[in-house]
Amino acid sequence: MIGGRRPLPGRKLGDRRVRVERPHAPYFRWSGAGQLTARAAASRPTTASGRWWAAVRALFLGRPLASDEEAGERLSKKKALAIFSSDAISSSAYATEEILRVLVIGGAVFLAFGLQIAIAIAILLAIVAFSYRQVCLAYPTGGGSYSVSKVNFGRRASLIAASALLIDYVMTVAVSISSAVEQITAALPVLLPEKVLIGVIAIALVTLGNLRGLREAGNIFAVPTYLFVGSALLMIAIGTFRIVMLGEHGDFPRQLADQTIQTTQSAVALLLLRAFAAGAVALTGTEAIATGVPAFKSPEARNAATTLAVMAGLLGVLFVGITFLAVNYGAVNVGGADGQTVIAQVARRVYGDNSIPFFLFQGFTAVLLVLAANTSFNAFPRLLAILAQDGFVPRQFGFRGDRLAFSYGIVILAVVAGSLVVAFNGETHLLIPLYAVGVFIDFTISQSGMIRHWLRERPAGYVPRLAINAIGAVLTGVVAVVVALAKAPTSFIVLILMAVLFGVMSFVRRQYDQQAAELEVREDVVFDRPHREQRVVVPVNGINRTVVQAVTFARTLAADVRAVYVTEDPDDGEALRLRWERQLPGVPLVIVESPYRAIISPVIAYLDVLDKAWPPDKEAPITIVVLPEYVARHWWDRVLYNQAARLLKRALLGREHTVIADVPYRRGA
Amino acid sequence: MSEARVPPFRRAVIALSGHPGNDRIVRIVSQLAQASKAELVGVHVVEVDWSQPLDADIAGRSEVAQRILDRAEEVAEGQGAALDAILLQARDVGAAIVDEAIEREADLLVLGLAYRMRFGGDFAIGRTIPYVLKNAPCAVWVVREPIPEEAS
Repeated sequence: MIGGRRPLPGRKLGDRRVRVERPHAPYFRWSGAGQLTARAAASRPTTASGRWWAAVRALFLGRPLASDEEAGERLSKKKALAIFSSDAISSSAYATEEILRVLVIGGAVFLAFGLQIAIAIAILLAIVAFSYRQVCLAYPTGGGSYSVSKVNFGRRASLIAASALLIDYVMTVAVSISSAVEQITAALPVLLPEKVLIGVIAIALVTLGNLRGLREAGNIFAVPTYLFVGSALLMIAIGTFRIVMLGEHGDFPRQLADQTIQTTQSAVALLLLRAFAAGAVALTGTEAIATGVPAFKSPEARNAATTLAVMAGLLGVLFVGITFLAVNYGAVNVGGADGQTVIAQVARRVYGDNSIPFFLFQGFTAVLLVLAANTSFNAFPRLLAILAQDGFVPRQFGFRGDRLAFSYGIVILAVVAGSLVVAFNGETHLLIPLYAVGVFIDFTISQSGMIRHWLRERPAGYVPRLAINAIGAVLTGVVAVVVALAKAPTSFIVLILMAVLFGVMSFVRRQYDQQAAELEVREDVVFDRPHREQRVVVPVNGINRTVVQAVTFARTLAADVRAVYVTEDPDDGEALRLRWERQLPGVPLVIVESPYRAIISPVIAYLDVLDKAWPPDKEAPITIVVLPEYVARHWWDRVLYNQAARLLKRALLGREHTVIADVPYRRGA
Repeated sequence: MSEARVPPFRRAVIALSGHPGNDRIVRIVSQLAQASKAELVGVHVVEVDWSQPLDADIAGRSEVAQRILDRAEEVAEGQGAALDAILLQARDVGAAIVDEAIEREADLLVLGLAYRMRFGGDFAIGRTIPYVLKNAPCAVWVVREPIPEEAS
């Protein structure tokens, strides 16, 4: 940090001054006593390839943000509603369809039950939302049910909750994107053959938006969410007016009426339960706000709780409203290549077939569904970051990228969800059975955790809250079982995956715990000076500048320095010895003849012999293997040099009591 | 250009003593500079007594001196302005500040003044400010910090 000094004349002879250079200034800033803060220049890549990659990243993701710029990245309630609620709200676009897809098996009469089922799910939504509001207030650090279960039940329950959440976030992306593509192909059937490609591109775009950072994500996602909500509410208002005031109704397809007779006499309850389980996907995404509380502007917990209440209200109205219209208009998706989504049929009916408002509504729905995936892109990496902090997943998931986003989590989510879209050919109804099982397990754990929370804390007026959480826990527990059984055997895949994730996370934690135990340093120990002896071994290939530099460095490390030369030619070795003794006196040269022409193994064997020769009553010394290394000038000529050194380094890695030191020789040094 | 549109200054030198009031001065001048896109130069002078050579390695090793300038840069950046930070060693602080302002063709020199009383109750203005007021060829602003409550 010592800068140059430049004398400057003053107006008078005695007024001379010296300007002192500040070489640290472009790279660091002194921010406290003995504390430097790195500036942007210090974080710039130093290699040409690194600079190129940084330029590409900046082009797509924007300039890197400093950590202290994060405060500006917090979300207002309006933006947060758009970001965190797009998943929950968008499920109103396909939840109705999933109910009717089941009910239609029983025929037209059963479609009438759609509204009752939607209302029952809406009541369940209210209870779950009420519970999660309390989670936001009680656990403002985020993490949602993971945090709740960790505090109230301990590690195992929290890992079950985390596994369920992670799977459901992935499913949210896959289902939302597939459904979005279906909305597009419902309006523009010509795009049907390209639906998988469209889905993958949509995931890539959402990924890019998220890698750019939260604030931009808020701006990108707020407008479509509000456009969908506005146009959907308008559609419900117009449709309800026509149905109630004008008596408008739909016609059921002929084959449905025939089916009625066959199915009404059997399995009514089962059919209704299955329909309920299918429609329960409407609740997915409700927990996202509780997971992302720290992303809100201050007061974080209060703002998150308010946003959650608004979201639940909107979702309830949209879901029941759309189901009401669908039931009355007899809108069902009978499948097939030209199968129209239920919401598209309702919109067609209300806004007019092939009218501009219809296409606009379909567009808003599709965009919202694409953006619904964004809820997971916010929550999934945050949850992974919390898990990384707790040591259950690799620590990289806790690192923030250039734009303060948890880049590793975002990329992992995109890859897994994209693979699912490809594997399931972008068919929403094939993905749905994998969905919602984890969510309800998660709800149950979370609400049970809240029961323990109230019983432990017992704040004033806790009894009604406890009652709500208890009812919620029982209801969501029952629904979890119903959903798992109704969607069996596909739903069991989710349970198996949860078990696998649980095992992997436990394994990672165990590894970190073991490492921490190994590396732990007792606080009462003072390390004043080294107490182990050191010796240095320098493998050499002759006498050259690289070797001389390495030997000179080695002599600064210890008194016991020796060079080792492996050769298959004894005469060559003897010639080197003569020269060595003349030019590098005081450093013994050990010549190892290698009749089998091996280079690496004899060096290792020599080190083994050195170890064995050490007096057994003395503590083993540290052996420093100093490797002379020539620095290649270009990337393409690296292959020409240091190959033996590289092999030796690899062979020595992890060897007990051994330190490897590279001494690079640069041309002109 | 009308009188009203003439920017208050084009290049200002701010003398930084390390007093806590420096932040306020840098903030005010940065705000003014931003409006007229004026240049800012922050100068901190480490006084070298006659027992040491003038070019002794003192300021470069002084973390305190570096911190004063780094802090000023940070405050200016916070206001959206860039501040060129200069570290000097001199026998006399006032002369060094004036000479630096002259060399940089500054049209404004800004100094802070802490409110201090001498023993006996007289207001203490020190040596530097009178020197600068007498010798600086450009405009000089002296920003005195508010009187502490207990003193008033």
